[in-house]
Amino acid sequence: MTDWPTAFEAELLRLGVQPARARRLADETAQQAAENAGAPGDVFGPAHLYARHLVAELSAPAPEAGRTRFGAGPVMLSLSGVSKRYRRQTVFADVDLTVRGGEVAAIVGANGCGKSTLLRICAGLTRPSAGTVKRTRRVGLVPQDGGTAGWLTAEEHFTLFGAAAGMVPGRARSTGAHLATRLAWRPRRQQRVQQMSGGTRQKLNLVLGELHAPDLLLLDEPYQGFDQGTYVDFWQQVFAWRDAGRAIVVVTHLLHDLQNVDHVLDLGER
Amino acid sequence: MTTLVVASLSAREVGRRWAALALVVALPFWFYLVRRDATGQSLRMLTLGIGWAISTLTLFVVNASRSVDPRLRLTGASVISIIGGRLLAMTGVGVALALGYFALTWVDQDVRHLWAIGLMMLLSAIVAAPFGSLIGALLPRELEGALALLSVVAVQMLADPAGLTAKLMPFWSAREVGTYAVDGGSLDMVGHGLAHAGLTWLICAGGTLAVFQWRLRLARYPEP
Repeated sequence: MTDWPTAFEAELLRLGVQPARARRLADETAQQAAENAGAPGDVFGPAHLYARHLVAELSAPAPEAGRTRFGAGPVMLSLSGVSKRYRRQTVFADVDLTVRGGEVAAIVGANGCGKSTLLRICAGLTRPSAGTVKRTRRVGLVPQDGGTAGWLTAEEHFTLFGAAAGMVPGRARSTGAHLATRLAWRPRRQQRVQQMSGGTRQKLNLVLGELHAPDLLLLDEPYQGFDQGTYVDFWQQVFAWRDAGRAIVVVTHLLHDLQNVDHVLDLGER
Repeated sequence: MTTLVVASLSAREVGRRWAALALVVALPFWFYLVRRDATGQSLRMLTLGIGWAISTLTLFVVNASRSVDPRLRLTGASVISIIGGRLLAMTGVGVALALGYFALTWVDQDVRHLWAIGLMMLLSAIVAAPFGSLIGALLPRELEGALALLSVVAVQMLADPAGLTAKLMPFWSAREVGTYAVDGGSLDMVGHGLAHAGLTWLICAGGTLAVFQWRLRLARYPEP
């Protein structure tokens, strides 16, 4: 069994922190624990969880440094003067947003201000009351919850969604399994969706949204139920998609997510 | 291919719901058992039970897929492959149930036209899947859908078979074929039954497709 500082440093390295920086963070953490006259495990909790927390707090600077940021690509989504009304009630009005390939846009706002409705409009599942929407043909949607069949396994979902996208079952399953590993998840063969935790279900939702390699990804608070480590992995994955030239629109209410996104659309208060 | 994948996974999904499946299998049996001494009554009730069980099962399967369908559409599946696949699966379950009860009838009852008994049960199962699907399409909440099915089956059970009300019900075809099978008479009754079943199937399947074409329609946006 490894000691706390070694495990902490190893987790930092696994999360992509540069070795020198990981060593320095480990030393500083041990020093802080000593100042508190306690063992690091007692002060900070489990080493791997604290490492993930720290990386999240530091906005994972090391992976950023190693990443090549490409310029914005072609427009993938364009909203112009988009409004939505239900009978006489206006949900939102005159929304403009342009997202290019290689960009991340965040939609923020209070509960009930129409964030999810706007995302459904972007997907084409709901029609706007007014305005113009232009978007690329290949789009993936990850809903806030639901969107899966409780009695099917993850592999069966890959097969189902793969078939919808015209993929043969074998390829769909292997692609799904590969995408799952990027979220630090290995689907169990016999486990049905109803037996999965909320976080694992959302990982499945993310994989299903990405399975057919869409150019535009629409994510509706997809991190519900994620633990801290998975949450960090999720944002790293978002930036990996961005760097691969995809456009991503994320609905979120967590304002500290916004420091690394390219556009923020605030739908405001209701 | 999507249709077959949807069908196979829908069947697998239903196959895993052991308790629901056991109740679906048992429901027609209770109908049969209550009037086992009266051949005609027991077989008509059994057939109606098959129709009720399969339409209810289809209703729940359709409702359970409500959140998956829009994502499948967005991923590229056509409405007809989603709806068609699910209908195929539920029809398969219905046909299997009908064949099982046909075997029971073969062993346990003495009827004039055994083949017509098989046809009666098959018609009930084949009509039940699109009928349950249409109810699920029109009434998205399970409780309302289940109550609507109960109402239809009750009317079908109690209405005078010769009257207009019974003929407007979805399972009249099975009853008509059943009358020929048990009591004998003109073969025209089988013809009428088949025509009624065909028309009912077309209305229910077409109606389901039309509702889902509208509900799962995607806005056609121009590319930027």
